[in-house]
Amino acid sequence: MADSSWRCARCDEALTARKTVFTYLGQSFTHEVLRCPKCGRVLIPPELARGKMAEVEEQLEDK
Amino acid sequence: MELFSETASVCPVCLRRVKAAIVKRGGEYFMEKTCPEHGFFSVVVWRGDDPAPGEWGEVSPPADGSRGAPDCPNMCGLCPEHLQKTCCALVEVTHRCNLRCPVCFADSGVRRSRVSVKLSVETLYARFRKLAAAGNTFVQLSGGEPTMRDDLPDIVAAAKAAGCEYVQLNSNGIRLGAEPEYASALADAGLDFVFMQFDGTRDAIYETLRGRPLLEQKLAAIDVCAERYLGVTLVPTVVPGVNDGDIGAILEFGFQRSPAVRGVHFQPISYFGRYPKPPDNADRITLPEILRAIESQTRGKVKVSDLLPSACDHPRCGFHGDFVVLPDKLLKLTKKSKASSSCCDDAHLRNRRFVARRWKRTRGTADAAGGGTDAAVDYGGMDGFLERVKSHGFTITCMAFQDAYNLDLERLRRCSLHVFDGRRTVPFCARYITPRQQP
Repeated sequence: MADSSWRCARCDEALTARKTVFTYLGQSFTHEVLRCPKCGRVLIPPELARGKMAEVEEQLEDK
Repeated sequence: MELFSETASVCPVCLRRVKAAIVKRGGEYFMEKTCPEHGFFSVVVWRGDDPAPGEWGEVSPPADGSRGAPDCPNMCGLCPEHLQKTCCALVEVTHRCNLRCPVCFADSGVRRSRVSVKLSVETLYARFRKLAAAGNTFVQLSGGEPTMRDDLPDIVAAAKAAGCEYVQLNSNGIRLGAEPEYASALADAGLDFVFMQFDGTRDAIYETLRGRPLLEQKLAAIDVCAERYLGVTLVPTVVPGVNDGDIGAILEFGFQRSPAVRGVHFQPISYFGRYPKPPDNADRITLPEILRAIESQTRGKVKVSDLLPSACDHPRCGFHGDFVVLPDKLLKLTKKSKASSSCCDDAHLRNRRFVARRWKRTRGTADAAGGGTDAAVDYGGMDGFLERVKSHGFTITCMAFQDAYNLDLERLRRCSLHVFDGRRTVPFCARYITPRQQP
């Protein structure tokens, strides 16, 4: 993922693409998302939330 | 002696309903009951307190406080007192069999009264339509040995055409391994996955349980199914002194054969249909013993804590665990949250989706790569994980069927595996319950 023109609303820093750890139901996964280098907040694009993240959740959610 | 619970059961001789108690004595739990005509019976139902039966899952009492239909399980066909809906509907397509196993739940191959009955594809289609119309879209074709029928591919196609989303074949695998073109026809007709009788990794086990060595045929069947992307779940009937020492080896075999093998489904032996003699307690292996054997025989690779009580049936009827086979280890997905094992109204639907997702093979990249030994793949990344869980998901499950000796109506009322005969839908254990055979 290339760095983008997004800026952090809180810090006004340019977001940069960084490998980030996501944890759900005891399992951790890494994925590259845009992150503020100062405060660490990340931008989760809707397509990631509705796509891969939702798919991972579904796989982990036991019957 | 200490009382664990009060329930109802049947007399193993005349099958009349009787009161029963589950009592703890010397670290083991026994079902005890008395028939006014045939006397007192005591049978072991749970050995040890690791885990204890009271701590194995939560069972909330029925909202109306009822104790089941007064005539349960006689005249059974799901009644308003039944507490679980159908997860998997079993449809018998034949009573013929190419084996004469000393132990057979359906007494197949020699059944006198119905042996000549051959249901037409049209008749079966009508049954599948009834099931699908009621939302029961997961069917298991059973018997007998379904592959005795040359028109089984037509039956599979009929189930699919009727709207059955998942079609599972319950088979000993012999014909699948011997006739790859027959397996191809089943796959082309839409068969989704196979429940394959697989009692162990040594021929001596098959000689005892099935009357002849069968390992070679089983391996051939797995290979044939693998080539056709038919997911195989191995189904061992676990018998004390025969294959209870092979539990770890069966699991290890399954892991090595992933993704062709999708899981192992243990069935502790129960005594209905055909069996050599009335069972002693030494002839039984209980659910917690299977759990502990899995942990000890895999040397801790799979722990008791990786497995959860059944959510779809009564917790003392089974367990399940969810895993992903990675090239160098086993990834454990079983959710530890207690909420996951609670029984709720759609448990049967969630279970159906879960098993279908894991037991059906997908044609993803990792699957096509076979063993998936590419060390460069990052399974800790979302992409790598998603691909691998779809291709190499693996379940370890167990179902402890109940027979006339140990039938607990509290458990039976929560059964979600039902046999459909075109007219009635009957819980599996009620369908196959058999009175004690006279020595």
